[in-house]
Amino acid sequence: MLDALLLSAGYNAAVAMIGATLLGIAAGPVGVFMLLRRRALLADAASHATLPGVVLAFLASLWLTGEGRSLPILLLGAGGAAALGVLSVQALQAHSRLSNSTSIAVVLSAGFGLGVMGLSYVQTLPIAGQAGLDQFLVGQTAGMRLSDAYLIAGVAGVLVLTVAAFFKELRLISFDPDFAAAAGWPVQRLDLLANGLLLATVVVGLTSVGLILIVAMLIIPAVTARLWTQKLDRMALLAAILGGVSAYTGAAASAAFHHLPTGATIVLAAGVLFALSLPFAPLSRPRRAPQVLEPPA
Amino acid sequence: MNPFLAIDLPALLIAIAASIACALPGSLLVLRGQALMGDALSHMVLPGIVVAFLATGKISSGPMLLGALAAGLIGAGLIALVRRAAKLEPSAAMGLVFTIMFALGVVLLETEAARKVDLDLNHALYGHLEAALWLEPAIWSDLLTPAIWLTAPRPLLMLVPVALVLGLLLVLTFKELRIASFDPDYATLQGFRPRLIDFALTAATTLAAVAAFEAVGSILVIALLTCPAAVARLCTDRLATHITLSVVFATVIALVGYNSAAALETSGSGTMAAVGGLAVGLAVIVRRLRLHARPPAAGPGTGPDSAVQPLRPGSV
Amino acid sequence: MRLGRAPWLAMILAVFGAFSARAAVPPTVVATIAQIGQPLGVIAGDCARVESLLGEGVDPHLYQPTRADMKRLLAADLVLANGHNLEAGLHRALAALAERGKVLYIAETIGQERLLPWSDHHSDPHVWMDPTLWRDALTVGVARVAALVPACAQAMTARAMAFFAEMDALDAYAKAAIASIPADTRMLVTAHDAFAYFGRRYGIELQGVQGISTESEAGLARIEEMVRLLVDRKVPAVFVETSVSDRLVRALIEGAGAAGHTVRIGGTLYSDAMGAPGSYRGTIIGMLDHNTTSIARALGGQATGFSPQLAKD
Repeated sequence: MLDALLLSAGYNAAVAMIGATLLGIAAGPVGVFMLLRRRALLADAASHATLPGVVLAFLASLWLTGEGRSLPILLLGAGGAAALGVLSVQALQAHSRLSNSTSIAVVLSAGFGLGVMGLSYVQTLPIAGQAGLDQFLVGQTAGMRLSDAYLIAGVAGVLVLTVAAFFKELRLISFDPDFAAAAGWPVQRLDLLANGLLLATVVVGLTSVGLILIVAMLIIPAVTARLWTQKLDRMALLAAILGGVSAYTGAAASAAFHHLPTGATIVLAAGVLFALSLPFAPLSRPRRAPQVLEPPA
Repeated sequence: MNPFLAIDLPALLIAIAASIACALPGSLLVLRGQALMGDALSHMVLPGIVVAFLATGKISSGPMLLGALAAGLIGAGLIALVRRAAKLEPSAAMGLVFTIMFALGVVLLETEAARKVDLDLNHALYGHLEAALWLEPAIWSDLLTPAIWLTAPRPLLMLVPVALVLGLLLVLTFKELRIASFDPDYATLQGFRPRLIDFALTAATTLAAVAAFEAVGSILVIALLTCPAAVARLCTDRLATHITLSVVFATVIALVGYNSAAALETSGSGTMAAVGGLAVGLAVIVRRLRLHARPPAAGPGTGPDSAVQPLRPGSV
Repeated sequence: MRLGRAPWLAMILAVFGAFSARAAVPPTVVATIAQIGQPLGVIAGDCARVESLLGEGVDPHLYQPTRADMKRLLAADLVLANGHNLEAGLHRALAALAERGKVLYIAETIGQERLLPWSDHHSDPHVWMDPTLWRDALTVGVARVAALVPACAQAMTARAMAFFAEMDALDAYAKAAIASIPADTRMLVTAHDAFAYFGRRYGIELQGVQGISTESEAGLARIEEMVRLLVDRKVPAVFVETSVSDRLVRALIEGAGAAGHTVRIGGTLYSDAMGAPGSYRGTIIGMLDHNTTSIARALGGQATGFSPQLAKD
């Protein structure tokens, strides 16, 4: 384990540990904003909504190039569909009285349903290359390569800088969107920015570490950080640290011990940090608990 | 052999039974901001499936169904626990618990015994609507013999009692549910226990979802728990009407979806889920148009509001 | 949109009792997977109409049964399935038809002792990876089809003999091809363990990175272990599969490269799905020829290809 923690368990372990840690650091603060805006599972809906995009892109790629599995076209399809999914959630919220979680659930099921429809259509076509289509873009943490780690580093840098630059605005829409709107802030556009950050995290995360880990990295560190502090700047910083630490230790454990799948172990490490925080953190005690995140009864 | 009796009748009956079994708890889940319970359950059952395999060494639906049910109940309990302990909104608590439980399942899949076996959820638990052939009734009049219904496909025999029990439970506890849903403090004063009702609702959802997973697969369950209730939410503020409309819309979505799938030759579950999303979109547009027609009397909850709007207490 | 397929119309037709009269000949045989349907189609010739529910390129894991497929199953005189839980999505429909004696699970006709165990009553279903086992499974299927058209039995037997002779020749070719790989590097490294029967038949060591389920995930310790194995044994190539993402395998290549050993991708192997319909790789012989030849060549063995068609397609 010590070898692994010191990044000397081997080349692949080192690359995966660094890549996952950077992603954990970047996803932490993004997750905090999503949590405060009650959109914790928007990442899940966006990930599921990629499927119809992948199927359409497969058909488009087949038609354009004669080869179904063109990586850039499939990525474009997945990203476009995920963006459409996020915009649909935002539209449902803006134009109806459906709650966030209901809007997210509707987009998740409709998007995935369209994808399954598409798959059942493609299977009737006499074409090869459709096997494993749903998993083609989905990455695994243990399979991370240097190019993935570079991509994550770049995106993580942009995410952290954007969060820092727009921190005040993001704080406003996180805690009191009605006040922000009344005070003349462009709430819709700032929401778009926050959702854009999420989308970037999801697309990079889905292709490098897979669906469950990216959803977990956006939720668990943010939830844990909120147990310790109510101040947004500290919460974001703490979530970044917790995300990074879970990824680093989880990946190290997966490198040190057999039969520990890397992404799943990172999720469990984040879960352990949450469970350890629960009894000790000040804000999890009933009396002093903030009511901010409880739904109105 | 009559293809309608063999293929379409069982599929339609299963779809309707699943619609009712899911729309009943789904209508309440949507009001409580727990619409994503279906998605959470579809992930939380994985460790239950793998443990059932590791314990029995069998790839058979009996133990796996029990394992899935147990894992679903444990997960639902954990979600309730985390919500209270960490003061979280429901979807955040769901995301936290379902990713951790799914990760646990993935770790269990890498144990020696499970590694070489195809134990993914699509193979082990999730069923397909179309695959329920019913060959026993040869002609329509056969359906008049009561005994022939005992030969109906197992998903139907499982879902019908589940739907009936859920419906009965809902009718019997309607008063408590209404108060607990909208005024938990008052409910406690009155001697009701909102936590007990919470627990009963969660258990009912888990039962309905797992039974329906095995019959129609995860995607349709997630859709049926959400979309009909979302459409109903846009139509009424009265709880009883909301629940009734949820069930009606669920059935309509199932029927329209099945016929669209038959015409397009696509997967029934996927098409129904897509039709469900379409129905919500249509309902949003229709409601906007109607509100534009008579703007002042719109009442609460019509603006761009992101929170769950409580029903008006006076109208319930 | 074909309205004629709408169930409402079917219901109306049923109410009026308008049943379609079935043509007398030839019988319709529906195979679940193309690994069964393709060879059976060749052997049956004009004696029976053989169709596959899952086309050559379709992955059983992704398959979504549709109403149209159910109608084909219902209309079939005989259904040939693999069994051992491969067709999990069709399980209920097949079980219902099996009660009517219309289904033959051909992989389950082979004795348990010749199969690789998975659980207490299921075996590894990828039986077609071993042509000698698959020939025996197909033989039972051919006999059942021949029983439907007794007049054709002789012609079918002749075609079956010719086809099985070709499969035996393929088996001999594969044996020689894999044996020509140097013992040190005779190791098949893939993303997941789907080639168990192939490995056992031809004596090639199997190393899969992750478990066989779609949900399973690899661990870093396993990746590092496999990188060391590739470097120590100087294995020249690893393989990707058509139905699994190639990321894990490419990570192995990069890891071995960092340790100073060059590994390349030896080819894309067909595990559950076959090649494009109508092509040589879309046949059972072509698929196995492609797998064997790719493996033997990439690992330093001698393989010219079982059929000249391999080079042409």
